Amino acid sequence: MIQTVLKRDGRVVGFNEEKIKSAIRKAMLTTELGEDESLIQKIAVRIAQTGNEQMTVEEIQDRVELELMKSPRKEVAKKYIAYRDKRSIARRAKTRDIFLEIIEAKNTDITRENANMNADSPAGMMMKFSSESTKPYVDDYLLSERTKDAVRNGYIHIHDKDYYLTKSLTCVQHPLDKILKDGFTTGHAESRPAKRIETASVMACISLETAQNEMHGGQAIPAFDFYLAPFVRSSFKEEIKNLETLSGEDLSEFYDMKLKDYLYQSVENLTGRERLLQHAVNRTVGRVHQAMEAFIHNMNTIHSRGGNQVVFSSINYGTDTSAEGRCIIRELLNSTYEGVGNGATAIFPIQIWKKKRGVSYLPEDPNYDLYKLACKVTARRFFPNFVNLDATYNYHEDWRADDPKRYEYEVATMGCRTRVFENRYGKKTSIGRGNLSFTTINLPRLGIECMSIENPEERKEAFFQKLEDILQIAADQLNERFSFQRTAYAKQFPLVMSRLWNDSERLGPNDSIESVINQGTLGIGFIGLAECLIALTGKHHGEDAEAQKLGLEIVTRMRDRANEFSEKYKHNFSILATPAEGLAGRFTRMDRKTFGVIKGITDKDYYTNSNHVPVYYHCSPRHKAEVEAPYHDLTRGGHIFYVEIDGDATHNPEAISDIVDLMDKYNIGYGSVNHNRNRCMDCGHENAIDNLEACPKCGSHNIDRLQRITGYLVGTTDRWNKAKLAELKDRVVHK
Amino acid sequence: MNRGDSHTVRIIDIIEGTSVDGPGLRTSIYFAGCLHQCPGCQNPQSWPMDSGTEMTIDEIMKIVEYNDFNVTFSGGDPLYQVPGLIELAKRIKTFGKNIWLYTGFTFEEIKASATLRPIISLVDAIVDGPFIESLRDETLLFRGSSNQRIIDCQPFKNTMCID
Repeated sequence: MIQTVLKRDGRVVGFNEEKIKSAIRKAMLTTELGEDESLIQKIAVRIAQTGNEQMTVEEIQDRVELELMKSPRKEVAKKYIAYRDKRSIARRAKTRDIFLEIIEAKNTDITRENANMNADSPAGMMMKFSSESTKPYVDDYLLSERTKDAVRNGYIHIHDKDYYLTKSLTCVQHPLDKILKDGFTTGHAESRPAKRIETASVMACISLETAQNEMHGGQAIPAFDFYLAPFVRSSFKEEIKNLETLSGEDLSEFYDMKLKDYLYQSVENLTGRERLLQHAVNRTVGRVHQAMEAFIHNMNTIHSRGGNQVVFSSINYGTDTSAEGRCIIRELLNSTYEGVGNGATAIFPIQIWKKKRGVSYLPEDPNYDLYKLACKVTARRFFPNFVNLDATYNYHEDWRADDPKRYEYEVATMGCRTRVFENRYGKKTSIGRGNLSFTTINLPRLGIECMSIENPEERKEAFFQKLEDILQIAADQLNERFSFQRTAYAKQFPLVMSRLWNDSERLGPNDSIESVINQGTLGIGFIGLAECLIALTGKHHGEDAEAQKLGLEIVTRMRDRANEFSEKYKHNFSILATPAEGLAGRFTRMDRKTFGVIKGITDKDYYTNSNHVPVYYHCSPRHKAEVEAPYHDLTRGGHIFYVEIDGDATHNPEAISDIVDLMDKYNIGYGSVNHNRNRCMDCGHENAIDNLEACPKCGSHNIDRLQRITGYLVGTTDRWNKAKLAELKDRVVHK
Repeated sequence: MNRGDSHTVRIIDIIEGTSVDGPGLRTSIYFAGCLHQCPGCQNPQSWPMDSGTEMTIDEIMKIVEYNDFNVTFSGGDPLYQVPGLIELAKRIKTFGKNIWLYTGFTFEEIKASATLRPIISLVDAIVDGPFIESLRDETLLFRGSSNQRIIDCQPFKNTMCID
């Protein structure tokens, strides 16, 4: 006897016999003989009485089909089957439309969700097909009703939902020393430990690439200089030994001799052992340069995730003051400056300069010369960005200048901005940890819903109530996803969960990852603080002090709640200034559909990124720094400060260091400088002219206009989605 | 050249944090009025002597101090408002910032003029000479045409006497 029915969306409802009757009746009415009420009654009762206690909709329909086939009215059965087919196709029609967009390689927001990915390639298409078809499964079977409602109505966005089923985590900062020291296996072949710089650089690439396939976010190396420095020395030693063989002399005193710096110098006027030593240095510098060039080249060509995208790679460096570490930094910067291939700007890895007073920032610092070089390189190549180790919240109490492993206490960032440092469930460090998953809140929508409340105090109160509800939903959802992720086995992530993630060494392949992943973070992101403030106060925080006050109040509340969630759920929750790419347009579109065009809020194609001052707003870099700085302290899950500068930055690297000075002064955690860089793809001529159409040197229209999107560079804007293109058009320089 | 007083100047615009008028981010102060009127000028709207708005030195200093960047005088040509310019330059030097001056006069003309000469000891660099369209070159550092020079005023500081 059927009691309940399991619906297609997973809901369970009471059985209703009338539904069976009405379906058979409809089918009968399309036949010549018309309806037969007694047959309808007979079939419905039989199914109801002989069926199982709970049945699915499909099972019941199968029974109806069977009964009709057994009855004298076979023509009704035919109609019924045809009707079922039609319904079932209709249900798949949405999927069909989406698939068609992918198949026809159309430039739509589905295929342009991610500018780093070529969704037109076969592997890219496969990825989009599976991504689009797994999302409904997640909705139907893994999300709670409350979450689903919040997603459907545009209050929150679950990032990387297509990866939900894989239980993958977002990202990790690679402890590359382990990889280089112990070697690793990718599942196909084992790598032995590295002995020289060339091997070390290749192993760094493979580590990044392998982990990229096991996660849904980016990959970073937190202390590129410290990790690779030992291999500069071993390569140098190798060169010395070669010279020993050649000259027959004993040069062993040079093996571990402390060198001041690895700098190329002509050996022309040198003689004897001095000449041999300088020759070995020169050879080493050449090899390191080559290895760095190869590293950059590999990171722009090795594809991952089924061959459709390069690794979202980032490297942090700048604080190793040893001669060997400085050699790595110098040669990395030099090859970045030169560019890849015929001198084009390398898109990956995102490079991040670790700026620290006493080490890598002030004129008296040991790495000041390299800092200056870094500014010159970023003026031409957009990288390195700058992470501010001196920001109060980036300080680590265990950092000591004479500790060879001090990098473990230096904050490192994912290029996209994700920051992982504080840790309630292990050592406070960026290394061997990462984000687990993140979900973004649509702040403008909450603001818009309160706009009609006349009294400002009541409006504010209503807003905070809504914010409270949504924060709770986001935290519950992240917690639910965590509960799903933790059931994964270590073997599902062969590299990440055997070497890279903290404490993963003690997991066997069939152990669950539950015991180690709590060191990761759950991120609650937000988008469109500016538009939210316009809804609540009429102005955004860049133009009005009162709006700024409220903005800080909002994000402070979010931070406080994140801390409370951490206590309650026993995880590391943090607030993230979301790098919204696909999302920038989606929320806006949904809100415009619900609320219409509202001036200053839904009248553009995008919402402003996280806590940023709107890109269209004219203000000086100092004002922008002053307004955005306090949010960095509140968003410990990640943040970025951008300045758009006018003119040709290559003429003016001091402008770059002036911006770093702003970061230093205002306690800003992470920042980078945007500017124009055009490159003629035919003759290689470069300049910084706005909207350049034709090369001034050779007249070619084949111009590559480099731009930055949510943290990473994209050579052409072909792969940008509509909202991001609209945002780019509106960007004004800060002056 | 002696137009105006030492408390106010006419200003077309002040750009806070530009990277095109000298090294680093700079606060660029665009003075109103120019008689050079070079063909191909970027800002012909700044030529009339009565263009822009009158600002006190105090008002300008507020902006300079807030931004805390080095400063560039441009225009127009700042050398048509010498009394205000000298006062402003002194205040900026007291505040501790370096000053670049863009002018259509040549350095030789400035040196030769008793009115203009004091400027040399108050600024750090002068980008001199009219913009000549036929000599335009986009690859030049901080200049429009190749006849223009960036002159470091440091060596002249001690040899120039202030009237």
